[in-house]
Amino acid sequence: MNTFSLLRLYRSLTRHKLYSVLNIGSLAVGIAVFLVLGLYVRFETSFEKWLPDHDKIYLVQTIWHIEDSPFNGAFPNTMGGLLEQIREDFPGTVGTRIMPTPINVIRNGVGIEEQGAQVDPEFFDVFALPMVAGNGPATLNSPSGVLIDQDTAEKYFGTLDAVGQTLTLTTGVDGKTGTYTVGGVFQNLPENTDLNFKVLGQLPAVQTAPWWYRWGSTSLFTYLRFPTPAAAQAFNAKLDGFVNRRGMKDLGPETPTKWQQLAVLPITAAHLTPAGGQAASLSQSVIAMGVVGVIALLIAMVNYINLATARAGLRAREVAMSKVLGANRNVLIRQFIGEAVLLVALAALVGLSLAELALPWINAATEMSLAIPYALAVPALAVLALVVGIAAGFYPAVLLARYPAASVLASARAPGGGRAGARVRELLVMFQFALAISFMVGTLVLAAQTAHVRSADVGFKRDGLIVVRSMTQAEPEQIQALTAGWRALPMIHSLTLADNSAGGSGTNNANSIEIPGQPGPGPSLQQIVVGPDFFRTYGARLLAGREFDLAHGADDFANRKDGVPVSIVINRMGASALGFASPEAAVGKTVGKGNRTFTIIGVIDNMRFLSPRDATTATYYSFTARMDEYATATLRYSGDLRTAMDAVKGTWLQVAPQVPFDASSADQRLAELYKSDEQATRLFTIGAVLAVLIGCVGLWGLASFNTVRRVKEIGIRKTLGASTRDIVLLLVGQFLRPVVIANLIAWPLAWVALRNWLAGFSDPVVLSPLYFVAASVLALLIAALTVSVQSLRAARAIPAWALRHD
Amino acid sequence: MIKLEHIRRSYVSEDIETTALADINLEIAAGEFVAIMGPSGCGKSTLLNTLGTVDRPTGGHYWFHDSDLMTLNEAGLAQFRAETLGFVFQSFNLIDELTIEENIELGLVYRKANGGNRRKRVVEAMDRVGISHRARHYPNQLSGGQQQRAAIARAIVGDPRMILADEPTGNLDTENGLQVMDILASLNADGATVVMVTHSPSHADMAQRRIDMLDGRVVASAARAI
Repeated sequence: MNTFSLLRLYRSLTRHKLYSVLNIGSLAVGIAVFLVLGLYVRFETSFEKWLPDHDKIYLVQTIWHIEDSPFNGAFPNTMGGLLEQIREDFPGTVGTRIMPTPINVIRNGVGIEEQGAQVDPEFFDVFALPMVAGNGPATLNSPSGVLIDQDTAEKYFGTLDAVGQTLTLTTGVDGKTGTYTVGGVFQNLPENTDLNFKVLGQLPAVQTAPWWYRWGSTSLFTYLRFPTPAAAQAFNAKLDGFVNRRGMKDLGPETPTKWQQLAVLPITAAHLTPAGGQAASLSQSVIAMGVVGVIALLIAMVNYINLATARAGLRAREVAMSKVLGANRNVLIRQFIGEAVLLVALAALVGLSLAELALPWINAATEMSLAIPYALAVPALAVLALVVGIAAGFYPAVLLARYPAASVLASARAPGGGRAGARVRELLVMFQFALAISFMVGTLVLAAQTAHVRSADVGFKRDGLIVVRSMTQAEPEQIQALTAGWRALPMIHSLTLADNSAGGSGTNNANSIEIPGQPGPGPSLQQIVVGPDFFRTYGARLLAGREFDLAHGADDFANRKDGVPVSIVINRMGASALGFASPEAAVGKTVGKGNRTFTIIGVIDNMRFLSPRDATTATYYSFTARMDEYATATLRYSGDLRTAMDAVKGTWLQVAPQVPFDASSADQRLAELYKSDEQATRLFTIGAVLAVLIGCVGLWGLASFNTVRRVKEIGIRKTLGASTRDIVLLLVGQFLRPVVIANLIAWPLAWVALRNWLAGFSDPVVLSPLYFVAASVLALLIAALTVSVQSLRAARAIPAWALRHD
Repeated sequence: MIKLEHIRRSYVSEDIETTALADINLEIAAGEFVAIMGPSGCGKSTLLNTLGTVDRPTGGHYWFHDSDLMTLNEAGLAQFRAETLGFVFQSFNLIDELTIEENIELGLVYRKANGGNRRKRVVEAMDRVGISHRARHYPNQLSGGQQQRAAIARAIVGDPRMILADEPTGNLDTENGLQVMDILASLNADGATVVMVTHSPSHADMAQRRIDMLDGRVVASAARAI
C-alpha cells in the first residue's frame, strides 16, 4: 500500500462517515459478542482444568436404574465407605473422598459458617492443591489439623502467619466442637471449580454411622487417580463385577447392577454433566452461547465482506485509472487486501474495547467474573483480521483487477459483479436474516419460558415464606425453643418443620409402594416427612380427603402400631402413579405392605420445591408431631420480609448462637434454582439482539449501496411514468424477498433447537406458531423500515438529476 | 398544444446560482416536429427535461392543452408522463438487468396496460423499429444503433402524443443515425409531436421548425423553408 492508497482510504472513510461507522462498527460489535460469549464458553468448559494433573483425576458416579423412581440417572456422589471397599478389591488404587461439611468457626460464642470438607489423608495424592504455607499432606494426617484457604486465613488471622494458630470448630457431621491447629494455607480456589471448600479437615478413619457402608446410600464424593485414560477405562470395565460382588448385601442377591452401577467420569467433564434425570441445561446453554457467538461473528463477517465487495464496484473507475497509469494486477490486489486487513484490524480493536467496556455489565447481569485473556485474544484477533480482511478484499481485488480498464472508463456504469454478484449478495442477506430470525424466535421463546417459570403455579403460595435451613443443625431442645419463640412473633402466622422445603433440602428418599392385587414392587414415590401445619403453612391445595391432624393420633407415625397402616397424604401425581382415577378415588384406600402399609387420608396438588428442570415427582407425605432430626423450618409471615427475617434471626441468636443462622425467603430460594436459566436467557438475548442489529446494519448498507447503484434506473422508470410509490414498492419489495425466504429457513431451524431446549423443562411453554410469526413480522418490519428510508429518498429525487447520475 | 410562459430554471450550489433557463416563452403545436439546437451548456437538455416534466422549473407556467402542469403534484406528473410522453436519450438509458422486450414493456407497465394487450403492443413496437430478433437479449449484447432503436420502441410502445428525444443520434454512426431519424420522421408523419435536441444541422433540417438557444434563452425560432 502506498501513501496515496492510505490517503484515499482515510478520505473515503471520513467522507462516508455513516457508512464507515456502520460497517466497521457492526463488525466490531460482532467481534465483541463473539469475545464475550467465547469467554463464557471458555469459563464453563474450564472447570477443574486449573488442577495439576486434572486429566488423571476421575469422579466416581452412582447410576440408578430403579423402575419408576424419580431419582434415576448418574449422580456425582457415592456411598461413604466405597473407597475403602475399592481399595480392598483393587489394591494400589489411588483415591480420596471429599465430604462437604458445614463448619462453624466459633468466635466469642457465636458461630460463623464456613464452607468446609472432610477428606482422606491421601487427598494430596489426587488433588495437588497449590499451598501458600505449611504442609498439606502432614496436616491431613492429624485428626486435629485443618487447612484453610488464603481468604479464611486473612479473615481470622489478618496479617499474622496462620500456620500453627488454632481455631475452635464445630463440624456439621458429628456436631462436636473442638480445637484444631491450622497446618497449612492453600491458595484460594478459582471460580471455575465445583470444589467449594475453604476449610479442609481429616475424614475420620472409623465411621460408625450405619449408612456409611450401606449400598444404595450416597453421602459424599469419591475421586480416583489413574495414570492414563486407558487405565481409567480398564477400571471402569471392572466396576460391574465389583458392584455385583459387594452390593449383594444391600441390593439383593440377583445382579445388583440391575439397580445400581458405578462409573468413573473425568473430573473436567463433571461440571457440564447433569446429575440424575436433570436436563443438560448447563451444557445446552454453553453450546447455545457458543453458537450465538460464532453466528454473530459470522453474520458480521458476511456483512462486512458483502458490503466491502458491493462498494468495491463503485471503485472500478479508480482501478481502471490506476491501470492506465501503470499499476499491475498484483499491485492492485495487494492494495485492496491491505486496505481490507487494515479496516478489519481497526474493527477488531474497537471490538476488543467494546468487549472490555461491556464486561462489567455482562458480569453484573450474569453474576460471573469474566475477563479477557489478552495473551490469547490479541493473536486470535490478529488472525481474524487477516482472514476476514483477505476474504473481504480478495473478491473485489480479483474482480476489479480483471476488468478491462477501457470498458470501465467508457461505460457509464460500474461493474458490481453483475447479476451473479447481486445473486450472491441476496443469498448472503438471506443467510443473515435466517439466522437473525432464528435468534428472534429463540429470544421470544426463552423469555416466555423464563417468565412462565417465574409465574408458573408451583402448587403453593411461594410469597410470604421464610425457610430456615440451619434448623437441621439445631439440637432437639433448641428446636422446641425456637418454634415456641417464633410462634410468639406477631408477623409469623404459622410454621412447620419438614425434611424438605421450597428450594430443596438435599434429602432424596424414595420408596416403592406396592399396589394391592398387582404384582411387582409398585411405583416409587418420593417421601417427605412433615410436622404439624405443613400444608397450611405452604398454602397447599387440598384436592380430596383431609390434611394431617394432631387430633387424629393415628396420623403420627411415631404412634404406629403393628398391623395398623400409617396415614399418608399423597400428591396428584402420586394418586395417578398408584393407579387411582381421581384424587377422590384415592382417599381412604390402603396401599403398600408390611411395615410400609399406608392409608391415604388426603390428596394435595403437586408442589414444586425444585428447579423447573427437575420433573415433578410422585410424592407421599408422612407425619410426625416431633420433627427433631434433620428438619428445616418454614415460616409464613406477613408484612416486610426484612422485618420478619430480623425478628426470626433475633430469636435464633438468643436460642442457638453457636449455629450460624441460614435462612432465606422461599422466593429467593426458588429464584436461585431459576438463576442459571435466567442468566443464560439474558446472555442469549443480548447476543441475539446484537446479532439482529448487525444483520440490519448489513441490510441497511446493502440497501443504500443498491439504491445508489440504481439511481439511474429509478430515473428511467420515473421518466416512463413511475410514481414515488411505485419506486418505493419496487425497491422494498425486492429487498424483502430474501428476508421472506429467510423465514422458510429460520423456522425449522428455530423449531428444532427450541423443541430440544424446552424438552429440558418439566413444565414447558407451548411452542406456539405465534413466536415464529411475531419474529418474522418483526424481521420484515425492521427490514422494510431499514430499506424504505433509503428507497423513499431515492424515489423522491428529480428524474432529470437521476438520469445524469453515473 | 404546449405553451411555456416565462419558464426559469436555476440551480443553487454553495452560494452560486447557475441559470439554466432564463425566460423561455415557447409554443409547440400538436403534430409538429421541432429541433432544438445550440452550443453545449445553453440549456437545450434542461428545456427538454422541463417539457418532459422530469425537471421542475423554478418559475413560470407550463400549459399542456388547457392544464397548467406546474400545479400538478409528483403523482400527477408521473401519470402525465406515463400517458402522454415518450423519451429517447443519447445514452439510450436501457436497464441493464432487463431484456430488450422487458425494457420496452416497461413503457407500458406504468400506464397500467393489461397483460395480453401489452404483449401485442411490445411486439408491434419492436417490429416497427426492426429489433424483434433481439427481443430476448440484454442491452449490453446489442450495438449502439440497436440499443437506440430499442429505446425508441420503448418510447412509442405506449402510443404517446409527444416524443422527446435528447440527442438521439449523438452516440451513433451516420448510418444508424439516419435510421433513427427516419423512424422519428415516420412517427411524426403518423401524428406524433416530436421535440428533439440535436447538434447535427442535417438532422435538425429534417424537423419542421428549428429553435436556437444560447445561455438559457431562445434566440431564434424558424420554420424550415420548404
